[in-house]
Amino acid sequence: MDDILLSLSGNELARSTVKKLGLPLPLPQVLKRHQGPFAAQGLDGLSVSVAHAAGSALGPALASLLAREGSETQVAAAPEVFAHYQETGEAWGRKSAAAELSDECEGASPHALIFDATGLSHPEQLKSIYTFYHAKLRRLAACGRCLLFGRPPAQAETPAQAAACQALVGFTKSLGKETGKKGATVNLVLVEKGAEQAAMHLAAFLLSYASTYVDGQAIAVGAQTPEPKSLPLTHRLSAKTALVTGAARGIGEAIARRLALEGAFVVCMDRPQEEDRTAKLAREIGGSALSCDITDPAAAEAMLSHLSARNAQLSVLIHNAGVTRDKMLVNMDEGRWDQVIGINLASIMRVTEALLPSLGESSRIVCLSSIAGIAGNVGQTNYAASKAGVIGYVKALAPALARQGHTINAVAPGFIETQMTAAIPFATREAGRRLSSLSQGGLPGDVAQVVAFLSTPQSFGVNGETIRICGQNFIGA
Amino acid sequence: MATKKDSAKRRAVIVGGVRTPFIRAFGALTKMDTIALGTAAVKGLLSRFPIDPERIGGMVWGGTILPGGVAVNAGREIVFDAGLPDTIEAYTVTRACTSSILSVTLAVAAIERGEADVLIAGGSDSTSNVEVRMPPTLVHKAAPVVMSAKSTPVDYLKLLGKLNPGKDLKPSRPSIRERTTGELMGESAEKMAGRNGITREAQDEFALQSHQRAAKAVADGRFAPEIIPVTTPDGETVFADNIIRGDTTLEKLGKLKPAFAKDGTLTAGNSSSLTDGGAAVLLMTEEKAAELGFTPLAAFRSWSYDAVDPKDQLLIGPAISMPRAVEKAGLKASDIDLIDIHEAFAAQVLSVVKMLGSKGFGKERLGLPGAFREIDPKEINVHGGSIALGHPFAATGARLITTMANEIAQAGKKNALIGVCAGGALSAAVLLEKA
Repeated sequence: MDDILLSLSGNELARSTVKKLGLPLPLPQVLKRHQGPFAAQGLDGLSVSVAHAAGSALGPALASLLAREGSETQVAAAPEVFAHYQETGEAWGRKSAAAELSDECEGASPHALIFDATGLSHPEQLKSIYTFYHAKLRRLAACGRCLLFGRPPAQAETPAQAAACQALVGFTKSLGKETGKKGATVNLVLVEKGAEQAAMHLAAFLLSYASTYVDGQAIAVGAQTPEPKSLPLTHRLSAKTALVTGAARGIGEAIARRLALEGAFVVCMDRPQEEDRTAKLAREIGGSALSCDITDPAAAEAMLSHLSARNAQLSVLIHNAGVTRDKMLVNMDEGRWDQVIGINLASIMRVTEALLPSLGESSRIVCLSSIAGIAGNVGQTNYAASKAGVIGYVKALAPALARQGHTINAVAPGFIETQMTAAIPFATREAGRRLSSLSQGGLPGDVAQVVAFLSTPQSFGVNGETIRICGQNFIGA
Repeated sequence: MATKKDSAKRRAVIVGGVRTPFIRAFGALTKMDTIALGTAAVKGLLSRFPIDPERIGGMVWGGTILPGGVAVNAGREIVFDAGLPDTIEAYTVTRACTSSILSVTLAVAAIERGEADVLIAGGSDSTSNVEVRMPPTLVHKAAPVVMSAKSTPVDYLKLLGKLNPGKDLKPSRPSIRERTTGELMGESAEKMAGRNGITREAQDEFALQSHQRAAKAVADGRFAPEIIPVTTPDGETVFADNIIRGDTTLEKLGKLKPAFAKDGTLTAGNSSSLTDGGAAVLLMTEEKAAELGFTPLAAFRSWSYDAVDPKDQLLIGPAISMPRAVEKAGLKASDIDLIDIHEAFAAQVLSVVKMLGSKGFGKERLGLPGAFREIDPKEINVHGGSIALGHPFAATGARLITTMANEIAQAGKKNALIGVCAGGALSAAVLLEKA
């Protein structure tokens, strides 16, 4: 990884020199990244400013979350909502102070600016969001977080409410472009009625440094998948078996390592050509290696017998294996088309359907999509079709899985620094890196963090969603 | 540990307890290590509560500063040094400042499930004899030479040449730092004071209460049955505690400098001191007590051992353990007569008291409909606590149990709830009841 601008930015002297000389070089913020497994009290000692619009629903849930996570909180809300913060703040020994919407933040730069807009019923009330962020945004800490909560526009009771809800999406995406140079991200959680608690688990993830490269996203949280019996705060995947396809390299390898870190037994699967790398990875993370071509019609059977030989029940399935065979459509031979659709889409469906009956309680399936599947890309008709197909597939399969206590989601990485992207010509690569709110590429570990969250029991409210991990890439946004 | 209220066919009682005087570290007891202090406590126990040693079924001992180079199982050594029959089995447990709460409840459990009729339990610690550790770099360099039978004087000379006197020969200062956070316990308590809004004034006031009550208990002879004299290797006999300052005032306490942070609120005056001492109790079944002519002081209704996150509030645990012990006993907070909380720091006691009275804490962290119980700090620790008396880590639990058992018996109380915090973010609570 040789992002020169990013290394310059990380160097105090170079940074100030560039600034003093007024060089027209964009210096992206070096991002803070969470290391290690998920931790309890991820916001320990950080200051957070939060506001609840009138009639919003998340007062008790957010008050409890923020105190547990360890933040000191300034709250702009009705007195009865503030009372929840006082109560939970006292219970966890964390300060909470009442504030006005238009107050500037006091004390340390806030790590997060949170707005609960679940109570909005009319666009007139949007002004409160303007007031809150207008007064506070300037002091947001580097690599801070803006997090908004709203109701899904589709479930609005009146057109006016739908307008207000949809407005949040536009606001979120634009604000993200404004805060990106600070390394700060802006995301929106669309909370269905009854999913208030479920939304808090996603919120904890988005507020942490584990969500570093997730920016400008609107993610829905629903109440269809029931809350699992156990939600351990650490070692969240202990005693669970995960399988990662395409685990030998890049993002797949990062995912396998991350899931193992969270306590899972990881079956690392890749093509027979990668046998050595896969075996080495499996040894390092205490998992097992499975050499198998995903397009082989017998692949699912091989996976099942590998699992049953280890007396393991699968509860996390990560469909990461994928290929590109780029060509302009007019020049694309049939083989390229068939191979890409076969590996990236058809085999995901075949394997999922074969493994579904034997999945363990509260299982999690995550498919790797791509921003190409959202925005399209020159020379990638085959690839984009397959990756868009994945998005359609998880959305359609989600309700059925919810009834069984499972979830299925997709993640769509943007420009991630891997061997594959290192091979892209310089100019194109630079464009890929810089054309995002965070002005830099993501790391395989950033994708792994999101996949890890979606693999944990805590993610039960997120189902059928596609989360982009792209630093708010300008393409297809 | 399940509540024993239904299952107790056998009921263990405490018939007596004693402790050595508690002496500030590097004072008169300096030459006595954890084993010697334990031996003094056990010998004193058997002189106050004489029993045919053959009837003693075993001993459970607690210690945190164990003389590793000498013996790991301090309890067994105490059996030998106290001149007890070699056939008395013994083991040693360590759970930081709750070590002798643990040793006593382990003994109670063993008696109640029929393993023994009579057991001695207790704990001791000599903070004057903390092992001074040499840097690991020295150990790593020296070990291959020292441990090898083939080493020659030349090897030793070569080794000397390799040593870096500034780095390898500098012993590390013993301190009570948390291994996970690197914080001194006082620094953690300072953080708790800030987070729970405990003022310097409130801490000093509580420390004053501790000293005044302890001094009064001494003057009234209330502690006399609990303290046994100890004769040191130098031939000096120590009769009384030496940390209590009955004549201290808020003014004097207010003048002390913060001990753990520049603008902090914790001082040497409102914190417990490093102390040497030991404490032991004699436990047996009710039937055996009657048979041997002992008067039971109290029985053990329930207990609870818990843990929290050391990176959060290290010493808040008693606010969880105490309500849990009451719940396991099937009682309500209002049923409790006496409350005694170990005073590691006034800030920690007042934080715990505040959380026990907090509606938010009750709901968020205890699953109760509201606060556990509003408590005025004046209600608790009727005879003072570790701030005035001192805190030889593993002796404190047995001291608390002895004092509260006597209080139940003498004052005719129904029960007493004891809460103790400990390093590693551990805690314990024991509910004693009228025998």
